[in-house]
Amino acid sequence: MECTKCGSRHVIIQRKESGQALCKRCFIESVDKKVRHTIKKEKFLKKGDKVLVALSGGKDSVVTLEILNSYRERNIIDLCAVTIDEGIAGYRAEGVEIAKAHAERLGIPHKVVTFKESFGIDLDEIMAYEKHRGSCTYCGVFRRWIINRAARDFGATKIATGHNLDDESEAILMNYLEGNTENMAKIGPKTESNSEMFTVKIKPLREIPEREIGLYALAKGLDIHLAGCPYAHESFRMEVGNIIKDLSKEHPTIRFSLLKGFDKIRLALREELTHDYDYDRCEICGEPSSNRLCRACTFLEELEHDNDRL
Amino acid sequence: MNYTVRMKGKVEEKTSEKDGLKVQDVLDEMELSSETIVSKINGEIVIEDSVIEDGDEVEFIQIIYGG
Repeated sequence: MECTKCGSRHVIIQRKESGQALCKRCFIESVDKKVRHTIKKEKFLKKGDKVLVALSGGKDSVVTLEILNSYRERNIIDLCAVTIDEGIAGYRAEGVEIAKAHAERLGIPHKVVTFKESFGIDLDEIMAYEKHRGSCTYCGVFRRWIINRAARDFGATKIATGHNLDDESEAILMNYLEGNTENMAKIGPKTESNSEMFTVKIKPLREIPEREIGLYALAKGLDIHLAGCPYAHESFRMEVGNIIKDLSKEHPTIRFSLLKGFDKIRLALREELTHDYDYDRCEICGEPSSNRLCRACTFLEELEHDNDRL
Repeated sequence: MNYTVRMKGKVEEKTSEKDGLKVQDVLDEMELSSETIVSKINGEIVIEDSVIEDGDEVEFIQIIYGG
């Protein structure tokens, strides 16, 4: 088999959705080009932006950092990074070290923030409680809390996350299946809010399949944390992900069409379903919140109340 | 034909009588999905259609774990 673009015989991927076969060089170029296209189409970056990358050390965030660094090298944007240590024994430490090494290699300001120092409790401790809402619920809310605060500390104008096509298609189908119209109006390439205390979030890799991001990292020789979160099996997201994976075997374009179709209706959804929240400050932590307490503080209070042990 | 399979730090010696054994055949035998794995032969990334030759080292790198 030969590379569809240059004729090289060292093909590293055959895209089922298009039939295209690519060598290492043409594959890397093709991903770079696609991400640049997404960044331009969605107006993710403007000159002078300072972008905070949520850097776990996994393939998605490392590739996000790597590609955004090409904008930094051309003096279009500035970069900084934050790594969150949720406190998951036997899992997180390696990713933190890899994240640190990438930030150091590229000379990017970086900090590591733990759940423990932020909330007085880590994820393993939460999961040891009898009553809890499931790991992913806390992890998502607490991570967003830390990332928002880190963005303000760094003076960042954008937050970039490593969400890929698989993540995006799962989120869309999940929200459909749950009838969560409020979330459907919120999700999309950019997350904006009318509170100045929230920094705009962007997803440069949202059109790249997860496997291609892993392949890109390996093809470029980037060190990445290769491990699965021990709590991942508990999530509804993973069940939905498995359904899409099964469907993709016979219908390889399904993730692309799910995203593309959703992108066509999301502006109408937003128009119809978005509420303009009045943000005030959370009474406990001072973060923006449309209720008396933000979700992070609500969860912490609930854990304390339900388990009477905190 | 003899070849080795390396995965997650473990190395396994294998023998096959099949002519034109492909990476995909080994993935199938090990019940691994090419959707979550990147394959290498002698350190070079390859596609699953690639034929394994005598003495080759096949490496499987799991890149998707879920979650």
